[in-house]
Amino acid sequence: MWEALQHAAWVTTLQTTGWLYGLVLVVHYLALFSCVGTIVLLDLRVLGVANRNKPLSPFAQHLRLSTWMGFGAAVVSGFLLFATKAEIYAEVTPFRVKLLIIGLAVMAALAVEWSVARWDRAPVVPVTARLLALLSIVLWLGAILAAVEIPALTGIG
Amino acid sequence: MSDVVWAGCRWLESTPWGVMVRDSTWMYPVMKWVHFTGLSLWLGTILTVDLRLLGVGDRRHTAAELSNSLCAWRWIGFFVAFLGGFLLFSVEATTYVSHAGFRLKLAVLIPLALMWHVVVQRKTRAWTRAEGVSATGKWAGLIELLLWISVVTASVGFLLTNDLTYA
Repeated sequence: MWEALQHAAWVTTLQTTGWLYGLVLVVHYLALFSCVGTIVLLDLRVLGVANRNKPLSPFAQHLRLSTWMGFGAAVVSGFLLFATKAEIYAEVTPFRVKLLIIGLAVMAALAVEWSVARWDRAPVVPVTARLLALLSIVLWLGAILAAVEIPALTGIG
Repeated sequence: MSDVVWAGCRWLESTPWGVMVRDSTWMYPVMKWVHFTGLSLWLGTILTVDLRLLGVGDRRHTAAELSNSLCAWRWIGFFVAFLGGFLLFSVEATTYVSHAGFRLKLAVLIPLALMWHVVVQRKTRAWTRAEGVSATGKWAGLIELLLWISVVTASVGFLLTNDLTYA
């Protein structure tokens, strides 16, 4: 399956066209910065470290579009980059670890998003909320760490 | 390139931190991680504010409110990104400055984008009106967006065409 993907005509075009590959890489970086940065900010707010004096829900609404537009663009561009070396990426452990961490991080981020309105009505942000926010930060920063370790551990990148 | 810049780069490569990151097997990717973590906070918030100036985003809140509420962590992100970037640069400073794309990023695009960012940050409130963002504000947001995209583009250009030994 990965072999067929990697050798599809459009993937070959992407891999051999320098500016096109670069463009996808630029989109991937911008999208992931937008996604991870805004998620971490919301988590910091839940933890009470950022913007404590303002209510939680409006802050979450501010960031929502950047977060999920960024996530969508990062997934699409990430898939395109994956496709150019699909056979190798699918085989290496650090890449699988990265995907696993991202999967867990998305669940943590969604759990925070869905609970924000409820936490906002509570007199103080519950301890479980803070733990969830902390977990989300650790997972998202873990995803970036896993990503930079892929070239370092496997030589692919 | 001027001898002073070259000598400065040679010196950076010989500093304790330059040697330390270069000789360690784990520190180089960790510095990349620090750089990207800082960039996420810095660029994530900047893109959000610029898009809001352009009318994209949550309409119930103004670009000025958004800019203010993100200000502190935006600059924390900047300094984290700067620290990681500086350490990465120190490992092979001469290779970095030998690359035209990287020189463009460091000497032109980043200073320009930073100065523009400070202007936008100061003026966002004035550009925000009851009926929306003024035309000047929209243009300023668009220009800032394009400046930071050009910084990332130069960086990716460098990533794809460099002669780094340690990357």
